[in-house]
Amino acid sequence: MSHTNRNFIIAYILLVALPIVGLVGILKSGRALAAPISIDGVWQLQADPVQLAALPCQKALAYGSDTSLAISQSGKNFSLTLNNGSRLTASGAIEGTTLTASLNSAAAPTAENGVCGQSGELLLVATVNPKTDPRSLAGTLSVNNCPVCVPVKFSAVRVTPPKKGSL
Amino acid sequence: MPDLFKLVLQISVILGVCRVVGSIFRKIGQPRVVGEMFAGILLGPSLLGWMAPGVSGYLFPQSSLGFLNALSQIGIVVFMFLVGLGINPQELKNHGHAAVLTSHVSITAPFVLATFLSLYLYPRLSDDSVAFTSFALFMGSAMSVTAFPVLARILIERNLLQSRLGTVAIASAAVDDVTGWCILAYIVVLTRAAHSGTPIWMTIGGIVVFALIMIYGVRRLLGGMQVSYQQWGGLSENRLAFMLLLVFGSALCTEWLGLHLLFGAFMMGAIMPKEQKFVQYVLDRFETVTVTLLLPLFFAFTGLRTNIALVKGPEMWMYCGLIVLVATVGKLGGSTLASWLTGMPVREAAGLGTLMNTRGLMELVILDIGLDIKVISPALFSMMVIMALVTTFMATPLLDWICPDRILRQGPANVAAPESAVPTLARSADKISA
Repeated sequence: MSHTNRNFIIAYILLVALPIVGLVGILKSGRALAAPISIDGVWQLQADPVQLAALPCQKALAYGSDTSLAISQSGKNFSLTLNNGSRLTASGAIEGTTLTASLNSAAAPTAENGVCGQSGELLLVATVNPKTDPRSLAGTLSVNNCPVCVPVKFSAVRVTPPKKGSL
Repeated sequence: MPDLFKLVLQISVILGVCRVVGSIFRKIGQPRVVGEMFAGILLGPSLLGWMAPGVSGYLFPQSSLGFLNALSQIGIVVFMFLVGLGINPQELKNHGHAAVLTSHVSITAPFVLATFLSLYLYPRLSDDSVAFTSFALFMGSAMSVTAFPVLARILIERNLLQSRLGTVAIASAAVDDVTGWCILAYIVVLTRAAHSGTPIWMTIGGIVVFALIMIYGVRRLLGGMQVSYQQWGGLSENRLAFMLLLVFGSALCTEWLGLHLLFGAFMMGAIMPKEQKFVQYVLDRFETVTVTLLLPLFFAFTGLRTNIALVKGPEMWMYCGLIVLVATVGKLGGSTLASWLTGMPVREAAGLGTLMNTRGLMELVILDIGLDIKVISPALFSMMVIMALVTTFMATPLLDWICPDRILRQGPANVAAPESAVPTLARSADKISA
């Protein structure tokens, strides 16, 4: 074997073969990692219309039987859009199975929708049940800085889970 | 029914902005394609949507994007056919130790570093519907890709195609592309099989049968086209239409098999006859409309999906910085080290590493697939687009700084690039990037 060939083989083993062995190790150790729970997709919202109507910003919520939440998730962070015509958007974070988000009703066309309380901020806190298929969540919707406002309980079921592997 | 007025308006705005930004980038010494990629970002939520949401909402309403996407995907299907057409198997066969080691290290180094980085990013930027293996392998393949057309364009502009640096770079990039697409195909099959009722062995079996039919059946049919070209000095419209039908048929087969449209188009290009004049003739017929009309639509659509606002806060920007750093260290560092070990002077080796670090359009194509199959999240997609832009943008000035022309114009390469491949590639790259 020539000197050049020997050097080539040594370099190849060090720079190609060994890293590939390392790659296998990384992939094996990575299987033990836990990623945030998936909440991406469209969720069908269910809430008591009477309780919602009592909120100062009920126009912004404009709840109907077909009201849904569209959630776009990036790891622990997510953005949420209320598909009810007002297109209220929110951003939030998920910790464990609990997700929290703040919806700013003032960002929506305020003349028609009304603003929630003094801060114009709605707080959404919910817990995801990962054991149900499709996934469901239950939580409350409350108005920030509004002591007289009663939090509204709601639940939601994921109707379009992320379509992995489809285009 | 599409709103034709809106669609034509969208296309006009996209073409106009892409040409203007592309020209500005040309003036600052960057390939036009980098400017067009940047123009796409400008038209998306990162700038237009942020500064003028009303205008953005009028120009690109969500309901109209399906048609724009369809057109851009057709463009990418044809573009991948042309990329496959530009790859000559001779390039993969005729290279010596330098190119073998450089190309393989330029894949493994960024790939392994990216999977290592995935250990950190997966719990932060992914979710439990994505398996770690799919996430890590995707990150690996996305970071190890090289933009063949942009790389070739830089070499042409500097008259380096026949230099040692140029030949090794072209051979390595060709190996990178083929390997990268094979790995990506595996990831797509893995991801789709996990969420469909079809067993994975059926998908893989189907792909193997399809590949055999393409190589041993369709390839002979295509050989007849080359003979016809040589006899008549051109191809009839019917034959060109038939060629396009084969491209779309091949794309549909791979999509139906659970892979992706683009793999079929790429494979059809790869098995086409490689006689230089024939390849140039086919490129001439299909390139102009694809490159000047359809690719900008793809850039715009990618830009519309890129929201840099999702990269918010110091933590997210740190992730983004880490991605750029790992991608650069892996690709630039790995290629530099390997080529230096095979005897290339250190500056020239660094120049090769810089060229290999160019990701450009190929990266965007891969990222789009990743976002479509939801292996990566929208925020990670935006970070990876930033990485693609930064690594592509840095190539030209870094090459100027690391190795001035006098160093690069060395004698003949220790590995000769196949003569037939280079002019064709050069011509193709010229149209794509100029």
